[in-house]
Amino acid sequence: MGLSCFVVVSSPAWVRGVEAPVKDVPFPVIERFENFGEKDGIPSHKVHAVLKTSEGKLWIGTYDGLLVREAGKFRRFGPEDGLSHKLVLCLVEDPRTGDVWAGTMRGLNKVSGGKISKYTQTDSGLPNNVVYGVDIFDDTVWAATAAGTGALNLKTGAWKIYDHNNAQMHEPWCYAIKGAKDFIYIGVWGGGIIEHDPRKGTFKAYRDPDGDFHYDLIPDDGPINDITSWLTWEDGVLWQCTYFGMSRYDGKNWKTWVQDKTPLLSNFTQFVWSHKGIAWIGMDKGVSVTDANYWVNYLVGDKGDGLVEIHRPGQPIEKRTMSTALANCFVLGIYVDDDEAWFATSNGLSRGIFAPQPKRTTVAEAKQ
Amino acid sequence: MKKSGYVVVALVAVLSLGGLGLGSYSWSVWHVRRWSGRRDLNFVTCNHCHLVSIEKMPWAKQRPHHPAAAGMAVSPDGKKVYIALDDVDQVVETDVISRKVVRRLTVEGAPFGLALDSHGERLYVACRDGDRVVAVSTREFKVEESIGVGEAPVAIAFCHTKAGDRLVVANSISDNISVLAPAPLKELARPQAGREPYSVSAAPDGSVAFVANRLAVPQNYLAVPNSELTLLDPARGRVLARKSLQSAHLAEGVAAVPGRSWSITPLVKVRNLVPITQVANGWVMSSGLAISDYQGNIRQMPLDEAQDYFADPSGIAVDATGKRAYVASGGADVVSVLDLDRLAAWLAQADEAAQREAIDDLSLSAEYVLARLPTGRNPRHVALSPDGRTLFVAERLQDTVLVVDTTTLKPMGRIVLGDGGLTDPIRRGERVFTLAARTFQHQFSCRSCHPDGHVDGLSYDFDGDGIGDNMLDNRSLQGVAGTEPFKWIGKNPTLAVQCGPRFARVLMRTDPIPPDELKDLTVFLNSLPPPRWERKHNRPLTPAQERGRQVFFATMTPAGKPIPRERQCHVCHRPPLYTNRLLSAVGTKGPRDTTDMFDTPHLLGVAHTAPYLHDGRAKTLEELWTIYQTNDLHGVSSYMNKHQLNDLVEYLKTL
Repeated sequence: MGLSCFVVVSSPAWVRGVEAPVKDVPFPVIERFENFGEKDGIPSHKVHAVLKTSEGKLWIGTYDGLLVREAGKFRRFGPEDGLSHKLVLCLVEDPRTGDVWAGTMRGLNKVSGGKISKYTQTDSGLPNNVVYGVDIFDDTVWAATAAGTGALNLKTGAWKIYDHNNAQMHEPWCYAIKGAKDFIYIGVWGGGIIEHDPRKGTFKAYRDPDGDFHYDLIPDDGPINDITSWLTWEDGVLWQCTYFGMSRYDGKNWKTWVQDKTPLLSNFTQFVWSHKGIAWIGMDKGVSVTDANYWVNYLVGDKGDGLVEIHRPGQPIEKRTMSTALANCFVLGIYVDDDEAWFATSNGLSRGIFAPQPKRTTVAEAKQ
Repeated sequence: MKKSGYVVVALVAVLSLGGLGLGSYSWSVWHVRRWSGRRDLNFVTCNHCHLVSIEKMPWAKQRPHHPAAAGMAVSPDGKKVYIALDDVDQVVETDVISRKVVRRLTVEGAPFGLALDSHGERLYVACRDGDRVVAVSTREFKVEESIGVGEAPVAIAFCHTKAGDRLVVANSISDNISVLAPAPLKELARPQAGREPYSVSAAPDGSVAFVANRLAVPQNYLAVPNSELTLLDPARGRVLARKSLQSAHLAEGVAAVPGRSWSITPLVKVRNLVPITQVANGWVMSSGLAISDYQGNIRQMPLDEAQDYFADPSGIAVDATGKRAYVASGGADVVSVLDLDRLAAWLAQADEAAQREAIDDLSLSAEYVLARLPTGRNPRHVALSPDGRTLFVAERLQDTVLVVDTTTLKPMGRIVLGDGGLTDPIRRGERVFTLAARTFQHQFSCRSCHPDGHVDGLSYDFDGDGIGDNMLDNRSLQGVAGTEPFKWIGKNPTLAVQCGPRFARVLMRTDPIPPDELKDLTVFLNSLPPPRWERKHNRPLTPAQERGRQVFFATMTPAGKPIPRERQCHVCHRPPLYTNRLLSAVGTKGPRDTTDMFDTPHLLGVAHTAPYLHDGRAKTLEELWTIYQTNDLHGVSSYMNKHQLNDLVEYLKTL
């Protein structure tokens, strides 16, 4: 069963009724959700990962298999199809070949042309079978595992391992990995963030300067916490999820957020997806979406209803209800593109349909 | 001197010599036991560990090279045929009418596969040993540019797609496919293929390219082997589908069929899991064809006949009408001519069950095989003129190309490239190696299990030691010189014994190879270098490989604990061949094995010989120590962390 979400609603009251379009928020706002679960052929209520490939195919990683959505139906791949383990934790597409890589609780898998090949710690150079995160950078597949980061060169077939023995890691439990323009970012549980330059072979660690486990003593001074649960990078901006808040780094300045003091919905952040500079953050209480100034939070009410909080800088919080809600408030994975958003939750898969966005007139157009 | 004096002197001499001999023997036993750490060993000749050098190996010495024809390409006007001569590093242009070589071009790196662009202005050459593709101007007949691709490219196809012209290259050792823009040459993508992609053909509309993969990827050694037909979108360089050639492998050729949305892949239907109690009725293997549509739905049809086999099918060409196909069988010295209309008609009337079982009905080939054309030795590649009227058959082991009139199916003559090389025992031996005529009903040749003298990646059950007992992994013959004894139990002291009468009884099921041919065969086998020797030998090691080398040669663990001598890697796998040629027990006896003592395999080229151990149970090198290590009997590995194991594997890959 998924987690039940209990939201205490305090004044101002949630506005019911027809949702007025949100015109001023500078990023897409979801107007309704479509939810998919066991009734739709998803074999498990728990969905860990979601990905839409460049060809428009939707892949989801669940507690019981890897699924692809074809012609409106879900097709499952399990161990009987060659998948190394039924519990799929993470997904990534190789942009050059279209292959989908899936990390599981027992190995790394490549799905190519409908066939699965697997890599485990016993039959390959993968450092550990528990693969929390995976990404592709140049010709290399990077896997964040429970015993270090593994890098498989797809051209030579050679594996490299980076852990506390040869990299600036506090411990080898790697929870996330992301290829950036020139670097690989590794999210280390208890070790903050490691920035690795694969061409030079160098490492740089970003640790919480406060050194305090529970509090962000001095905001915006560095990573909010060393317990990195996920990270992502896009166009020069690094986002870090921790169990104690959220961080953002633009290469020069850090920005941190914690619940209650900032619009961040919960400190227990699980996942972040960045699309065109907008961060979509999954946590135990729902989803926060932000460009670091505006925030839109999606919650699930105690009656299962959908709730939205809109945080505008310097303005009161606007609260609305929605006719639909996320399948569950515990969000483990997110995919967003220009058309829609998908959420992997603890009790099903949700599709977020965007409200039509107002066309923003440029100055040149206005003159015409 | 008195007679008694002579007796005394003789007695003293005999006793002295005897004492010397006994002393030498005792010392040598002590010496072997001391340096191997093994108390079970007695007298062992010195050259198990000493006096072995790479320079003395037959394969390290100069040998004659022959203009053996490999890939061919016919010009769009049908007047010229280009031929790759990999063994002499040449590409030649020949005139079809005169059948003479008119121009030669040196192309280093063993040119093997050829493709022409649509206008015949550029010839693209896949250079197997150079790991590159070269573009040649056909007007000036010189190299214009080249580009690095994957390892050991052996086949190349040109196609026109909606996104532009493409070249698709099969990289047989790196197990991937290079998709190139042709002018200028640029690699656009390098998707993964199956194991040993060996041939490429593109559909006329460029929507799909078919890549035939030679071997099956190792799975459970008792699982049915399936090699792969890779369907690729050449415009984007993306794999569309990976389809299994069920219970089949050695797919060395593929051709797209115009007008039918088919591809046809010659293959070998191998039955390695069946104990080799007989050879009749295709018991061990038979040749067939995989007919695939553009979605990868495959039907398998037989190429052989019930009492006659056409071993080692490889090259295939289909005419522009899509009605005729020509398949070269290198072991049988035959080109089979197929009527594709009749093949299609049979498929159309057959239900699903009949189609599924067709491959096992050797009488079926009569439905669509029009003719079997005899050729010279070892036809491997074929090419057709654009009008389909002339067939070119590369007779690889007699240095000629047979030219056939396809309307009469009669030979018109030959393009003579060399003298056939019959004064060279290596060439003569290779002819024996590739000839199926020595086996029962010509079912297979040596090459059928050892393609290019290498492995087929399968395990077999020979019935002589009990049905279902002692499954044996196929071993590479590349680099085999100086590694006697042979067989996993070390029973055969020489190659001549290995391939002699016992082999004839166990496998060939006919008369043994005649002595003079057997001698040539062993010369040929001894001439085979380890895989990729020239590319690997004496290369500087990366840091990881150097760390792995230290692990391999370690005499104590990093903690300072001595490793027993008999379990130090380099003692049994002693350089330069990485074997001491002795039997050892390394804890790998299986429940159906009758012994635990196995011949120490040489490690040169070990990266390319998966699977591993005597029965092939280890799919990868890692598994030797992560799954199949027992009490540190196969070297001491219990102290290793994953870094060290990875480094050791990286070092082994350099051998």
